[in-house]
Amino acid sequence: MRLGIVGAGQSACTLLAELVQGEFDGQILVFNGEPHRPYRRPPLSKSWLKMSADTDTLRLLPEPVENHISIQWIKEWVKSIQPDNGEIHTEQASYQVDQIILATGTRPRQLTIEGLPSETTHVIRTLDDAEKLRQHVDHAENITVIGAGFLAFEIAASLNHPDRTIRIVAKGNRLLPQVSLKTAHRLVDSSPALTQVDTKIESYDANSKSLTTNRGPVPADLVIVAAGAIPNTEVAMRCGLGTTDGIVTDVFMQTPHPKVSAIGEVSLHHQPHLGKSKRVESISEANDSAATCAKRLLGHPVPFGAIPWFWSDQGQLKLQIAGLCARSDDETCLIFSDTECVVIRHCGDRVTAIEAINVAKEFMAARRLFECGVVSLSALVEAGSVFDLLQSSRS
Amino acid sequence: MPQLNCIDPREQVIEVTFDPGETILQAAHRAGVGGILAECGGGCSCATCHVILDGTWDGTIVEPSTQEVDMLSFAVNPTPHSRLACQVELSDKHDGLSLSVAKRQY
Repeated sequence: MRLGIVGAGQSACTLLAELVQGEFDGQILVFNGEPHRPYRRPPLSKSWLKMSADTDTLRLLPEPVENHISIQWIKEWVKSIQPDNGEIHTEQASYQVDQIILATGTRPRQLTIEGLPSETTHVIRTLDDAEKLRQHVDHAENITVIGAGFLAFEIAASLNHPDRTIRIVAKGNRLLPQVSLKTAHRLVDSSPALTQVDTKIESYDANSKSLTTNRGPVPADLVIVAAGAIPNTEVAMRCGLGTTDGIVTDVFMQTPHPKVSAIGEVSLHHQPHLGKSKRVESISEANDSAATCAKRLLGHPVPFGAIPWFWSDQGQLKLQIAGLCARSDDETCLIFSDTECVVIRHCGDRVTAIEAINVAKEFMAARRLFECGVVSLSALVEAGSVFDLLQSSRS
Repeated sequence: MPQLNCIDPREQVIEVTFDPGETILQAAHRAGVGGILAECGGGCSCATCHVILDGTWDGTIVEPSTQEVDMLSFAVNPTPHSRLACQVELSDKHDGLSLSVAKRQY
């Protein structure tokens, strides 16, 4: 069998590693248009941005996998696919495969701001983005990050410096809307950034080096856009698969076309933990969807059943989340001290996610509890901590 | 270059060279030492890069943070010499250090 993997990020590389380990008997073509060998993205907005680290430390694949005899690297972007006859087209050539795996990931949402020069605007998604930002950041005294999510706050924490003022401006009325109010407050309070919500950006004034907004000028020698991600579904959509919201697959990562699969952040499939379909942006989704796809390609299909988890480094704070919840889910604070914080998200008595700041033990216990089945809020509150509930459930 | 002696879960010994300043995970990963999953890619968030250091090297290696100790308590059969490979930074004085990769990461 001949596979064509479109993309070379986290999910594509996990798939490769699983196939090599599972002694896949066939040929694998990997299409990687980026001018770098596969690298890890999460550090780009965290430790790597802060320190002048060598790009070698970002390397994603072990030498024996990257140079495995079954793998052929094609350093080109894929322009289109033709599922019926298994063709993958690049600018230069066409390739014939038996199975196409789309691991095209996401790209940053771009904003058009009148008057804002391109050299003043940055995003962080690729290694080149992060390199470009690092080259320009030294001379910036006023950095403005547009966005409200983890990425905006990670960037602010990583770029924190006594000679700089970092501002986070958000369009909506909530910062960090994907976590509870309690967790968001703790993260916002400890952030070095000045924050402002309900801010609509109108234009950029190059003379005063500031953004013109409905709430007055915001100084910005440098603007970083961290306003969410868009799934790269164009290649799939051109052949009738996928939507602007993701590429729909079943729980084996197969699209409605028998020759096409989709894995990682671009795949839109049923999330058993959530009880509905959702596209999830996290390293756990990249790894678990790739492992599910690998099992199927190796002839031992097992449906996707993983519990999503997330983490974010914000300066001295490490946020870890087990599970996945709707933004409207209720919140109950379980542990709250100067150093630690654990907040339970729930729908009635059913716990959907557990957010832990600087308390890894609670996060790991939460993952184990979710793996065992439904977690009850009342049992958790009675036990006093996630760890204690796990211990009592084991005894 | 200084080197580590890594014993993978299949009891194979792999000599791994490293640059001072690298973590055990980075060095072992580059060399393709088996059995280290490192699902979170080195963020001290998953406890799947569990290794057991040769006890005679105690004292030359920075003690684990509370975060790492907590994560290790969820590793499979942790020992007093267990560490997360992503959290141990190597220097010249660790030339010759031996370690075993945990038999199972979960």
